[in-house]
Amino acid sequence: MDLYEFINFHLIPGLLLGSIYALGAIGVTLVFGILRFAHLAHGDMLTLGAFLALGVAGLTGLDPWFALPVAMALTAGAALLIDATCYDYLRERPRILTVMASLGVALMVRAVVQMGWGTDPTTYATGIVRPTEYLGWFLLRDRELMTFAAVIVLVAVLEAFLRLTRWGRAMRAMSDNPDLARLCGVDNRQVIRLTWVIVGMLCAAAGFLLGINTEVWAMMGWWALLPIFAAAILGGVGRIDGAVLGGLVIGLAEELSVLVVPAQYKSATAFVILLLVLLFRPRGILKGKVL
Amino acid sequence: MIRKTLLVAATAAALAQPAVAQDARIGLLFGISGAISAMSPTMVEAARLAIEQVNAQGGILGGRTLVPVLGDSGCNPQNATDAASKAVNIDRVLAIVGPSCSGAVLAAANSVTVPAGVTIVSPSSTSPQVTKLADKDLVFRTVPSDAYQGAALARALLARGVRTVAVTYLANDYGTGLGESFKAEFEAHGGKLAAYQAHDGAKASYRSELSRLARSGADTLVIFDYGDGTGLTILRQALENGFFRNFVGADGMKSEAMIRAIGAKNLGTLLVSAPVGAGDAALEIFRRDFTARGGNPDGIFATTSYDAAFLLALAIEHAGGDRSKIAASLRAVATAPGEPVLPGEWAKAKKLIAEGRDIDYKGAAGDHEFDAHGDVPGTYALFRIAGDTFEAVTRME
Amino acid sequence: MDALGLLNYALFILILAGIYGLMALGLNVQWGLTGLFNAGIAGFFAIGAYASAILTGPAVAGRVGGFALPVPAGWLAAMALAALLAWPIGRVCLRLRSDYLAIATIGVAEIIRLTIRSEDWLTGGVRGIAGVPRPFGDLPYLTAQLAYLALVLAVVVVAYRMMERQLHSPWGRMMRAIRDNEAAAAAMGKHVERRRLEAFVLGSALMGLAGALFAHLNRSITPDAIDPMIVTFLVWIMLILGGSGNNRGALLGALVIWLIWSLSELATDRLPTEVAIQAKYARMFLIGLALQLVLRFRPDGLLPEARRTRPRTQDHP
Repeated sequence: MDLYEFINFHLIPGLLLGSIYALGAIGVTLVFGILRFAHLAHGDMLTLGAFLALGVAGLTGLDPWFALPVAMALTAGAALLIDATCYDYLRERPRILTVMASLGVALMVRAVVQMGWGTDPTTYATGIVRPTEYLGWFLLRDRELMTFAAVIVLVAVLEAFLRLTRWGRAMRAMSDNPDLARLCGVDNRQVIRLTWVIVGMLCAAAGFLLGINTEVWAMMGWWALLPIFAAAILGGVGRIDGAVLGGLVIGLAEELSVLVVPAQYKSATAFVILLLVLLFRPRGILKGKVL
Repeated sequence: MIRKTLLVAATAAALAQPAVAQDARIGLLFGISGAISAMSPTMVEAARLAIEQVNAQGGILGGRTLVPVLGDSGCNPQNATDAASKAVNIDRVLAIVGPSCSGAVLAAANSVTVPAGVTIVSPSSTSPQVTKLADKDLVFRTVPSDAYQGAALARALLARGVRTVAVTYLANDYGTGLGESFKAEFEAHGGKLAAYQAHDGAKASYRSELSRLARSGADTLVIFDYGDGTGLTILRQALENGFFRNFVGADGMKSEAMIRAIGAKNLGTLLVSAPVGAGDAALEIFRRDFTARGGNPDGIFATTSYDAAFLLALAIEHAGGDRSKIAASLRAVATAPGEPVLPGEWAKAKKLIAEGRDIDYKGAAGDHEFDAHGDVPGTYALFRIAGDTFEAVTRME
Repeated sequence: MDALGLLNYALFILILAGIYGLMALGLNVQWGLTGLFNAGIAGFFAIGAYASAILTGPAVAGRVGGFALPVPAGWLAAMALAALLAWPIGRVCLRLRSDYLAIATIGVAEIIRLTIRSEDWLTGGVRGIAGVPRPFGDLPYLTAQLAYLALVLAVVVVAYRMMERQLHSPWGRMMRAIRDNEAAAAAMGKHVERRRLEAFVLGSALMGLAGALFAHLNRSITPDAIDPMIVTFLVWIMLILGGSGNNRGALLGALVIWLIWSLSELATDRLPTEVAIQAKYARMFLIGLALQLVLRFRPDGLLPEARRTRPRTQDHP
């Protein structure tokens, strides 16, 4: 296999998938850090976001990329609603109950999607798109370039938000030590709501990007859940940069695994990495917290 | 607490009883939730078409209504046995169309339908395990076992001069069965498999697998997967990245979802096989009727589902509604010799049965000459995409 | 109303409720008693089912088999193998905190499932194993069901008795102490890790046995039976609803949830078919909703734990 093939059929798809996983992992790590539980409904929120974008694009005739911000807003709203009805009353109880509640939420969201849109795979646009060659080495499509760009922009904006704004600092404070944060005047409830808004938006973006690069269908998020969790834990829980790094590593690992193991074990890659991390380096590569 | 629970349960079950027992009921067990949920709606609609035709043309067993009872087999044994148990014991169905998945068929047959003496006809279970089932002749299929289609496809490709292919198959019983039978036949007759690998059904990207396959040098890729699922992803990614020129699939790839998502003009080099009847008339009638009803006749297993339902209706009529005689009647109405009956010809069939004449149903998916195991041999045709739909190119020997 | 049909249906419900009840008992030892969030039930269920199927089934070309051992031997082997595999998994995973343990055990179960589907030479791969013998299987329908139900009930009663004895024994008290305050228990010199491992292995053995019972009921085992939705998740709801920490609660939860699962489909059958398909998806929605409602209004379950000791895992500050 030559370098050209390696770059274009293993490296780039791996990075593409990895950046989508990264967006998902950032959401998971935010929930781990601030709300302190494993958000098992994360995958199905991705699915919801993807379908909402599909719905908006279909209703308004907009280009799907313009439907994306609308979908992000809608998903953020859904996340707030779900938190208010399904997680809020469990705040003072052991976290494990919230994890179970999130599993129930996952099923409900998926059922809603199936009832609303059916189970056939669909796409944002029909037809196939051949890539353009750049610099004689790289084969890329517009949608892939835009995916990379979108991920970079979203991550940059989020980082800026967390570092430079008051609310961002409040989120980080709460992630580090909620009691101390409250003592310093941080309104934990507002921070929690803000977190869900951000998580909802990230889920919608990740779901949309996954859908636009492959297909949109009801199980898409559930199948991405474990790789996303693996990415968040691999990178280090509670760290955005960890989530990004973890996502890229997992995405690459999946696409490269085909070179060493039979293709039907592709799914196992993320699981195995996850298990290894949990056993040998639970704080992850960038040393996040072990909750 | 336990007493309360049982009381509630008994009440619920009692309420679930139908008010009138004057109808004849037939169970439809399909994988509505689960692994093949994308395909099930079309299969259900095709079965319902047959039932509606029965009711529109005079009803069954002396003018009674044939009532479908829909159950979800979930494509797993737990749900399938539960649904079968309800259909057999509570709804008292006379026979069952389904289940769809082989594991579900094995479980439901072994623990419910065979002990209870109820005949079942599966429209989509292709595993060879079902052939070997000790089923007291109560389990039938309108879909040929994998062993046939893979081999027939291999022969058809060789006949067209294709001597080297790469194969990727979905790692479930459908894909694996087709892959194995294709490989055996293809290589036995001088063909060469440049690559042969399984793929997982839960991924969003197959470019790395495709790259590996393409390195083998073959220019034809055989995909044993579902066009309603990851088969679509693989085909699209192969086309977009310039892997392979020609594509071949089995009936799972004969899906309208692919035309809708990828576009007919991009699928010019795709050939798929699918089971068909000995003559073209039956298929044409089914296509016309199903399209008129709003269904997609090219949907996966649409033809086999329709045939299973129609055949069971014929068998019920022939057996006079006696559960224990339905299996024998099924053989009688499906196998030659007999007056040919085509899809939709319920009134004609009823008359012939009433006159005591032997009939032979020629279905949209084949003639269904059940062998000793309740299996059907396959007759297949090769299809390509023309316009916005599939058209037959040639019969496969 | 057809009494015979209803009876057969009821028997089948009870058989499956018994099998699930066995798994709930196993989970109760792990979670209810010891606070271990095992989300990989399907994996141990699978190991038990396949172990028994391989050892008692007929010989088949290309696959390990043909031992044709008697059924009870198969069931014992199922328990043993599930326990045997639980041991290293437990040693390695149990020190993780609950969320992570859940994720790790999900991963383990998925790896087991993938391996089962891929390794033809051992498990028959995607086709599974057929021809598994069923005790009393050749009797007429009603009698065969009664006989199998009697077997399942006997197993469940024995398991229940044993678990109850464990619960009220010094071992049980120690487990609860560890669950409720691990630091104190360790300070008192209890070997925390070993105890938890014991609970994990014991619970997994019961899950393996349930798998074997299931395989023999259907005379076959195929990979699609190892779906985490229908195995793991359902058992969790059963235990939460029934009352974790309580063996009777586990069994009750299994019965109630399986009844709801089965009867809810009857309700959707009555609808016209266009809506019926959508309604099947709604069933999953209702199960998720039921979980929410239980967590909200009756978090201790129908039969809460008898003792007044307080709740599950502590949050680490």
